[in-house]
Amino acid sequence: MQANSFLRKHRGLGLAVGLTALLTTAQVSANGEIGDHVNDLKGHLGQYSEEVSWLVGKYDGVVDTYEAKGKAAVETQQLIDFWEEVDFHSAIETNYVPVYANIWQGIYGIKQAIEAGKPAAEVRAEQDKLNAAFWQALGAVKLASQYQEKGLLAKVQTTESEPTTMPETLDDINHRLDRVVAKYAEKLPEAATTIVHDTYLHRFEGVEGALIEQDAALVEDLEKDFNVTLPQALNGKTSVDDVRKVVESMQAKINRAKELLVAAEKKRKDVF
Amino acid sequence: MQRRAFLRSACLNSFAVAGAMGCLPVSALAAESNSVAQSVDQLPPLKGDLTLYLGRGEGGLYENVLEAIRKRNPGFNLQIRRGVTAALANTIVAESKAGVRRADVFWAVDSGAIGLVADAGLARPLPADVTAQLKPGFQYPQWAPVTGRIRTLPYNTERVTPDRIPDSVMALADSDLSIGWAPAYASFQSFVTAMRLLEGEQATTDWLKGVSKRAKSYAGELGVVMGVERGEVDLGFANHYYTLRLKNGKPDANVDLAFTKNDAGCLVNASGILALSEGDLPINFIRYLLTREVQSYLASEAYEIPLVNSVQPPQGLPPLNTISPPKIDLTQLADLRPTLNLMRRVGVL
Repeated sequence: MQANSFLRKHRGLGLAVGLTALLTTAQVSANGEIGDHVNDLKGHLGQYSEEVSWLVGKYDGVVDTYEAKGKAAVETQQLIDFWEEVDFHSAIETNYVPVYANIWQGIYGIKQAIEAGKPAAEVRAEQDKLNAAFWQALGAVKLASQYQEKGLLAKVQTTESEPTTMPETLDDINHRLDRVVAKYAEKLPEAATTIVHDTYLHRFEGVEGALIEQDAALVEDLEKDFNVTLPQALNGKTSVDDVRKVVESMQAKINRAKELLVAAEKKRKDVF
Repeated sequence: MQRRAFLRSACLNSFAVAGAMGCLPVSALAAESNSVAQSVDQLPPLKGDLTLYLGRGEGGLYENVLEAIRKRNPGFNLQIRRGVTAALANTIVAESKAGVRRADVFWAVDSGAIGLVADAGLARPLPADVTAQLKPGFQYPQWAPVTGRIRTLPYNTERVTPDRIPDSVMALADSDLSIGWAPAYASFQSFVTAMRLLEGEQATTDWLKGVSKRAKSYAGELGVVMGVERGEVDLGFANHYYTLRLKNGKPDANVDLAFTKNDAGCLVNASGILALSEGDLPINFIRYLLTREVQSYLASEAYEIPLVNSVQPPQGLPPLNTISPPKIDLTQLADLRPTLNLMRRVGVL
């Protein structure tokens, strides 16, 4: 299988360059450049399906080896390299970040179970979760391809794009919070924390002034979430599931904020 | 303790009350020039193509203004590039060095970025009638402040009586008040820059060291105001609009505003606009932003301070002519690097 880009082959450099891009655009992967294929999902569904089958086989092979020969026979870094090799990686990363996070969670579930010398049955259980995430992701990409074909899916931007209204900003915040879970599941807590701080300063700060007029308590909750609860949860020790719970709670509040601001905007006076 | 110079926002919408409390109208803001804000009805229609570089603004309300201008002028093709203000300023300078000009007009949320572009010799002079609409102290030959924001001392009304608040920001370093601040916040850094320019590097260093002993840090200045309101600290440093908005959403909030006098503590900073290309269209576009309608809209909806003559400030804020901001060329606030170095040396960043 061909590598998608230089960056993906060189994870450390890819992370540094990609993270810089992530701070200014929501759509550039932390793991490498996003190819044009993501704007033609339907044309690449066959490729993605092959890649998912290839991945399932590869992870199965690693677990088989572990079961037969033990920890010393397995190079666990391969578990990460496999995932970073495939174009499907950016297809799901740009379309459905929550499942993207599940995939990383599954990969690290296998990796850590092997490194801890857990019984093969436990490693298989982690593998089953990963496989489920792969198939769910493939389903999500297929669905996205239909939307894309109907023109209902925005073209993936490769240049800086700023939300221009408060509802757009709040949607962008929710998307960025999904990415926080993804980065944390990828074992990149510092990158996840950077996204939280960046989202607070460059997105939430722009809407909280208007929001506080509508619901001061809600702003107070979200201020605490952005500055205390979520950063503290991203300590590398909290489980991905628990981080996801914090994020989902925040997203519910962001959705409430959006309702309030949409309603307030309808009552706003005209400029002229 | 110094004589109080507080202004309780709840009772300071009248100039007479302000005078009775010892807050006399002062300095350059006291007198308005003869030219008052125009109505949009007095302006010519905008026609043709214009590219605006727009620094990130307050919650989409600038977008509402731009959309309204578009709707009013069907023959006007406005292209907008949005981004972080400082980055756009750097882009404009870099494009100029490369021999290209993509922006016709630059609207920045802070005047420091305007200074960067103006200092590069890229701003076109404004006609005298445009400048004359602006309040004295805010008239610049090459750019127009659009709206202002004032540095304030939000204080907790349950913990502090106004007479305990000094009317000098420098004196706060020697007070026993607990303080909330947001050192990483751009507006706070502009405030420290103003202090450095007005008081000197050593005095600013001493002040930062003094205040930091009793300071609690927050990520942003709304956080500061909310911390003050919760009683975590006695008072804080923040732009005025956070307190006004909080009080609008929570009228019984335990917070009010105090102002220092004639120092960086009551600096009025401004968003600003300048023309990069020649011709009537960029200038007329600037005129639209200075109209009575747009200025009133930004005052009532974004709580920003109108800087053209004869437009009322947002509700809850005393008239500008009762406040005594320091005399400072706002474009000098672009000189941020020495401020950041100083704050790092002191250990507050």
